[in-house]
Amino acid sequence: MLAGRGAAYLLGALCTAVASVVALPLLCHPTLSGSWARWHRRRAARLRGAPVETQPTRLRRLLGWLPVHVAVAVTAGAFALLCLGNLVFAAAVVALWWAFPADDPPSLLLDVPVHGWGTAVALGLAQVTVLAALAWSLFPPLADAHARVTLAMLAPAPADRLAERVVVLTRTRADALEAHGAELRRIERDLHDGTQARLVAIAMRLAVARQELAGRPDPLDRSDAVSELLREAHEGAEEAMTELRAVIRTIYPPILADHGLAGALQMMAVRGGVPVDVDMGELGQVPAAVEAVAYFAVTEALTNVAKHSHAARAAVRVRRTGDRLSIAVRDDGVGGAGEHHGTGLTGIRRRAEALDGTLAVASPAGGPTEITVDLPCGW
Amino acid sequence: MRVVIAEDNVLLSTGLELLLRVKGFEVAAVAADVESFLAAVRTHRPDVTIVDVRLPPSFRDEGIRAALQARRDHPGLPVLVLSQYVEPVYASQLLATPNGVGYLLKDRVSRVDEFAEALTRVASGGTSLDPEVVAQLLAHRGDPIAALTRREREILALMAQGHDNATIGARLVITDNAVHKHIGNIFSKLGLAPTDSGHRRVLAVLAYLNSNA
Repeated sequence: MLAGRGAAYLLGALCTAVASVVALPLLCHPTLSGSWARWHRRRAARLRGAPVETQPTRLRRLLGWLPVHVAVAVTAGAFALLCLGNLVFAAAVVALWWAFPADDPPSLLLDVPVHGWGTAVALGLAQVTVLAALAWSLFPPLADAHARVTLAMLAPAPADRLAERVVVLTRTRADALEAHGAELRRIERDLHDGTQARLVAIAMRLAVARQELAGRPDPLDRSDAVSELLREAHEGAEEAMTELRAVIRTIYPPILADHGLAGALQMMAVRGGVPVDVDMGELGQVPAAVEAVAYFAVTEALTNVAKHSHAARAAVRVRRTGDRLSIAVRDDGVGGAGEHHGTGLTGIRRRAEALDGTLAVASPAGGPTEITVDLPCGW
Repeated sequence: MRVVIAEDNVLLSTGLELLLRVKGFEVAAVAADVESFLAAVRTHRPDVTIVDVRLPPSFRDEGIRAALQARRDHPGLPVLVLSQYVEPVYASQLLATPNGVGYLLKDRVSRVDEFAEALTRVASGGTSLDPEVVAQLLAHRGDPIAALTRREREILALMAQGHDNATIGARLVITDNAVHKHIGNIFSKLGLAPTDSGHRRVLAVLAYLNSNA
């Protein structure tokens, strides 16, 4: 690091230290304190060649740093000012010693009076050399020490850093969820409009071909082999359609694409054998991936109710609180539901946890059963 | 028999046209959206219509609403709705006026003979429900269904799809008489008033399956 940069840094620090003391009341304002801290951190980072960090500094940390800043900057800054001042003075004396009054000659090297060109040049050179050496050797480490202390004291506390990280991760996860949801919908639509339609069209043509062939026997009697091939192709196409339909359903249930979560759950409740009360709160915008898991959870839970619970009624309650979507499915059945019974509960837990959600099952023997799924919506 | 089709996917609509022509139907018009479908029905007065559930602009249940609208405009207009997936609620909405309605998975179209038969049945005022819809309706009915034997459940499912005694007998390879006897058992086990063979009986079964216990 050059002595010049160190000097500039130290003199700047001296100025801001003085300004900090004068403007202390202003610095209690969060906006000003924030930018004051940011400016100092940027300056210190530039001096040390360190990456500039942008996390905000809390006021408490700024106030802790200020006295240290003032003490270090005033001491080191005053030292730098003194060195530079005397350097300039020595240079001036060498050139202009004759202009001083004879009875009050200038002094160099602390207290040696200058009376002629000889002493002026000799003492001046000596003083310039000493001061330059001082500046050269001490300014950079002093400036570096100040910068180091500033960076350390103004950097956010580990807890703040962590909190900041959580905020960033939450936002990026929301973005990822949103992108994932858009992708799911696109895939579902592409498969439905493209692949599935094509398969149906192929199967229809194969079916027509089979009909036509059956109506017109081939004079060369190849019709058996051909119709056998057509039959296989036709059946293959039908199997592919069935498989594709199942795949689409697991990617993103088409009913969600058509009716949204609220509509899909209402429709599911209507079809159930056990009467289901559906109570939907105001859900706001829910990422598609979260909708899919919520829908899956309610489907599985209601299937369990119909199969195992002997319940007379069931209730589905969906609420949005902040960024959490909570889904509760309750029934008045016999209870005793657990993940060890090979019910769909394990599947629900796996899918909920994949989205950082939770599953809670309360099902004492004798009932009632309530399963609760809690899913973060990410924003 | 004259057919009007509402299908926006060209691949499917041309396939359907081809298939219907082979089976001796006359395709009067193919509409790609709700408005032109309703207009085509007004103009051509078809014997039966085929409607895809997903139609523009939002590709949700425009087809169901178009079908219901067409039936309000022209009471008794037979409608066969095709869907990518089965949704019993759609079936319930259509069955609110159950004469001449059908609700089938798109995949069924490739079973040419069965599809033509279903279309003819709907055109003559009958019902045709997809086996999957019926399976879902049955699966969600609680205990009374459990009291049926396997054979009785098969027959109930076929009845709900809209088939008559003769077809049921042929499908299961049993005599008319046996079918008749099973049906009597089913009706008494489910606590339904016995009705004569035919469409009224289908309606009784559907009403039973469609109601919540």
